[in-house]
Amino acid sequence: MKPKTNHAHFISIIFILSCASIPKEITDATCHESAIQNQSYSRSDEVHKALVKLVESGVPGVAVSIYSNEGWWSDATGYARIEDQTPMKSCHLHYLQSISKTYVAVAVLKLFEQGKIDLDAAITRYLPDTISQYVTRAEEISVRMLLNHTSGIAEYNFAPKYVSYLLQHPNHRFNPMDYLGYIKGKPLDFEPGSRYSYRNTNYVLLALMTDAITGDHAKFITETIFNPLGLTQTYYRAEDGYLTYPQLINAYWDRYSDGIIENASEMQRTNVASMIGDDGIVTTPMEAVKFLKGLMEGKLVSLTTLDMMQQWVTDRQGKPRYGLGLSYIKIIGQEGMGHSGGGIGAGCELYYFPKKNVFVFTGINLGTVTDSPIHAQAEEAREALYEAILN
Amino acid sequence: MKAVILSFLFGTLVHSVQAQTESPVKDYRNFPIVISLQFHALSMPFRDMRTNFKNIGVGIGTEVSLNGNHDWVQQFQAIWFPNKSVGNGLMFYTQFAWRPYLASDAFAELKAGAGYLIASRPVDSFRWTNNQWQPVGRKGKGMLVLPVGVSLGYNSYSADVYLAPFISYQFMLLKGYNASVPLVPETLIQAGARLHPVW
Repeated sequence: MKPKTNHAHFISIIFILSCASIPKEITDATCHESAIQNQSYSRSDEVHKALVKLVESGVPGVAVSIYSNEGWWSDATGYARIEDQTPMKSCHLHYLQSISKTYVAVAVLKLFEQGKIDLDAAITRYLPDTISQYVTRAEEISVRMLLNHTSGIAEYNFAPKYVSYLLQHPNHRFNPMDYLGYIKGKPLDFEPGSRYSYRNTNYVLLALMTDAITGDHAKFITETIFNPLGLTQTYYRAEDGYLTYPQLINAYWDRYSDGIIENASEMQRTNVASMIGDDGIVTTPMEAVKFLKGLMEGKLVSLTTLDMMQQWVTDRQGKPRYGLGLSYIKIIGQEGMGHSGGGIGAGCELYYFPKKNVFVFTGINLGTVTDSPIHAQAEEAREALYEAILN
Repeated sequence: MKAVILSFLFGTLVHSVQAQTESPVKDYRNFPIVISLQFHALSMPFRDMRTNFKNIGVGIGTEVSLNGNHDWVQQFQAIWFPNKSVGNGLMFYTQFAWRPYLASDAFAELKAGAGYLIASRPVDSFRWTNNQWQPVGRKGKGMLVLPVGVSLGYNSYSADVYLAPFISYQFMLLKGYNASVPLVPETLIQAGARLHPVW
């Protein structure tokens, strides 16, 4: 889930979106199970009970994939689509939402390792003038500041003009320059490098920077991350219709925070298809874990670079928050790293807990960026899930 | 567009109000029927105005004068508008309007008030009840609305009929859209007429 802010903006961090009608092409949410199952996984009953508890809290469907010293375990329960009671399965594709940032960070760090990017150079060295002119004091902002959210660049989805347009036009496809247009001329929120504050805009710029260097950041990610790891069910702008694959879950949203949910798949799909860098990847639970596992095992970047990714910047309370595309987390007393993602109709978490040597992906098809009474109970079930997995 | 409307409105106001010492409306009557077309959009003010004309609703209301010059009135409106993207709306509101009379029989209005919007969902929805998902249709939500608006109109009256066509632009803030979004902006372009039919 994307970090929330305390900003009392006119309209805050919302992706408050709506959908007009459900088109026929997203009525499917079918897939054919092929996941590896480890029948001897000792925590399977507890994990399954926690997933059921999550669904009983009002989440339509949930899927989990775990890699631990016992090997792989995947499970799912609830519905991928409520309307026709399509069961959620481990083979369904999930929206990674902001977890996509970790993939983009890895791509940028591969360019760093290839000597094509200096992390402490100004972003103006790599971004065309036509793009960097949108960013106030761009010459004072480094690539590293984008990666660890210390740039101070304004957040595009805080802009009321953007949010209201998105609400009224849920099927409008934005392009990256539209997003940058919402922050053009806006002052920095703080001095570059002086503190941490999560901004999606940072990763839009990183994707555009990677475009400028490689020609196509999505192709670069596919060739340098998906292919080497054998991720055949992971998709990012592979083709225009990559978000119409029938195995993609339907997405649900509690528009009015009253516990009533609506199918927001059409808006979710259009919104995710619009975003670059800060969102946009879909994958299966197992392939999400394979990515993080591959990263931590040094299959994507060197161990030195991996260490650099874990140099956490701290928040105002001095607590570690974010490295280079990785966020720090502490759940039920266990330290972990990875990322979370949240959208209007989906939410997910992908974490590695080094002391337990456990990798976990959890995906739900309920939006997490606007509050819902369902979330409070779901949060209890989430803790129970991590208890079952880690303790 | 914003600059044009505002400069026209207020430029005319400044020029014309100076000469007004008494109401030119000699035939004003309370409780006219106000009928109107409503053009709705969820948008910031003076933005995305093309969308307004895709969501066409209707309204009916009345008003009562608050003083002898009839340049302070209280208006009451009930309106309905469709909006396929964000859900249809049924709204009841009242506004206090300052109505300075301009040259000839033209008038302007500046108004503000409060109301209540019942907004439905754009698609069928579900509630988790008794361990299963129950369909609840397009069940909506009621929200406090704070509308502010400007209008231009013209009094046309004779012994037989009193008719005052007008156009308005309303900007509304919806309070409590959801727990994460305290305020949502919406706009209405309104075109209609105040009339006293001859019975």
